Amino acid sequence: MSDLLRILENEFQIIAISFLIFVYILRIVWLFRFKSSKEKTYPEGNAKAGIAYSMLNVAMPWTMETTRKKHFFYIQFVLFHLGVTLAIGATFIIPYWPHLFEIKAIVWIFQFIVGVAFIVGLFRLYRRLADASIRLISSWDDYFSLILMILYFAVAFLAIPINYQRSEWPLILFFALTAFFLIYVPFSKIGHYLYYPFTRFFLGRTMGHRGVFAKKKKNRSTEGL
Amino acid sequence: MSEKIKNKRIKIEDITNLPLELESQKKASQEKIGSVSEGKLKLYNQQKKNVDRFRELLSEKITRQLASSMVACVHCGMCAESCHYSLTRPDDPKMTPVYKADQIRRIFKKHIDWTGRVFPKWVKARSPVDDQDLNHLKNIVFGTCSACRRCTFNCPMGVETALLIRFARGILTDLGIVPEGVFNVSRDQWETGNQMAVTEEDYLDTLDWMKEELQEELDIPDIDIPIDKEDCDFMYTINPREIKFDPRSISHAAKIFHFAGEKWTMPKWGWDQTNFGLFSGDDRLGAYVAKNVYEAAVRLRAKRIVISECGHGYRSTRWEGYNWAEYDQNIPTESVILTLMRYIQKGMIKVDPAKNPEPVTFHDSCNLARSGDLLEAPRWVLDKVCTDYREMFPNRRENFCCTGGGGLLSMAEYRPLRLEVAKVKAEQLEATGAKLVCTICHNCVDGLTDLIKHYKLDMKVVQILELVSNSMVIRMP
Repeated sequence: MSDLLRILENEFQIIAISFLIFVYILRIVWLFRFKSSKEKTYPEGNAKAGIAYSMLNVAMPWTMETTRKKHFFYIQFVLFHLGVTLAIGATFIIPYWPHLFEIKAIVWIFQFIVGVAFIVGLFRLYRRLADASIRLISSWDDYFSLILMILYFAVAFLAIPINYQRSEWPLILFFALTAFFLIYVPFSKIGHYLYYPFTRFFLGRTMGHRGVFAKKKKNRSTEGL
Repeated sequence: MSEKIKNKRIKIEDITNLPLELESQKKASQEKIGSVSEGKLKLYNQQKKNVDRFRELLSEKITRQLASSMVACVHCGMCAESCHYSLTRPDDPKMTPVYKADQIRRIFKKHIDWTGRVFPKWVKARSPVDDQDLNHLKNIVFGTCSACRRCTFNCPMGVETALLIRFARGILTDLGIVPEGVFNVSRDQWETGNQMAVTEEDYLDTLDWMKEELQEELDIPDIDIPIDKEDCDFMYTINPREIKFDPRSISHAAKIFHFAGEKWTMPKWGWDQTNFGLFSGDDRLGAYVAKNVYEAAVRLRAKRIVISECGHGYRSTRWEGYNWAEYDQNIPTESVILTLMRYIQKGMIKVDPAKNPEPVTFHDSCNLARSGDLLEAPRWVLDKVCTDYREMFPNRRENFCCTGGGGLLSMAEYRPLRLEVAKVKAEQLEATGAKLVCTICHNCVDGLTDLIKHYKLDMKVVQILELVSNSMVIRMP
């Protein structure tokens, strides 16, 4: 392993991830600086149950009309994000638990899912370019982030087998891209996962309090009256 | 749906380029009406730096909930599949909820968010340049969205697009950059305490008239519509539309309450449960109107507030109003649907479904279904009072707006687009084969009636009080 790759896999990643955490903390502090609203009404439901329901909404495609009707879109979403998870996982496995990738089956599973995520990424790019309504709302950041992800999946696909002997370049590229991601993500749309708990929390709290989210006893409103 | 009508396709520029009409504002200024001189109702002032003020208000008013919805959108476009505007006009990219929300989001990004402040072009951050841009924004947020919240429920991120639209409306209302209808209704509600400028004399006369009619019809001389009676079981609040155009709904309610043996009253002041603050985004107006109701209940020592059939009125009075007014809820507040359900459950009134034999379907009002959770109670009641109930699809939280929501019925200039996009609703209605569409919202009554007429559907709109009243089995002593 060259010194360049060793530094990229270790020190460079630690610096980049520290930067990401630092910016995320700033970002959360920034969000908390906006005033919050207080609930003054009697509850009809349970805010905590609503929050839990809202947070898990993404794993319950049957609860949303769009995901219920558009199976293909939902499957794409799952595979794309699974690909992201595995690619990120690989950035830890390669430097710290490389023996895991000595098991061929694990390498194949990782490569298969990351490869599918790559294809989904291409499809998403096509959709973003071909659909006039998506094109109209898309910013440079939307395109750049998506292209970056597609590139990342491709590089991860090549890097996962960890073949130093043949060529280090896939690994160098993979870790260079990872570091770039860690620095760029907090300023781009890719950082949406940081906001997901916030939007879902607020929606779940309101709707749970009102009894709109989460199942409840039938006709509860007339009980005890 | 059968092609009964060919919709004339509206050019979206004809909507978004509509000018700012100021006739009513000029009149209000000349007449020096109280709400204007007290600074409650804002007028447009061309001489002021409105764009700068818009930016200031954006920073002042934004909450954590709204800020997270500003930053969380990933531009996936899923919301387009849920909006009746974009479903009816799929080839019009400016009809998607995300495009509409982006018009306020881009200003937030330019002035408040990090990346947008440093690299605005990278994330499409942009500030309005002049009042013309603000007027354009007005036409988008008031004219192309009924704030039905359907997109929110279909957003994987949980972005509250309808709240962002309301937020933008509120800032524009503070600058007087609003459709004339919004200004007029807001003025009436500030000035008279109700959104249809019903005078106290008209209010009391109408109630008196309804009482006399009811006494005559039922031949019961002591049947009453009590006013300002203290220590009652509940205080009944209504929509001013009931006084102006549909007083029979009050007599239906009075008849049912009488036979249920209720001790009830209506207040002389604070009877309007509707709230235009919800539509205009003006939280101060929202607080003022809601507080009138809450304080009337305290004054009369009522044990409960009952809200007549109204979607936005229920949402405002039951939920948002307490928060706008920062008023701790101190007594239960319920929709009359729950009151009716209780009467039937407990046998306080007897009903015979055979008295309503026509096929009936139910339209869920957006504010009740998606923002208020009144889904099963109306269905339970309808099941008891009608013989042929037919479900509409999609329904409950997934129902489509009557297309008159978000205050759109008061904005005549946007009516052509509203009726064009009502095609989705018309198809829903027609597919049920029902002759009656029941709704528990006065706003929806008007919205649905308008589209039924436009699409020449063979249906009539009814409300649940009427159906319950019709179905009552009355045994005279």
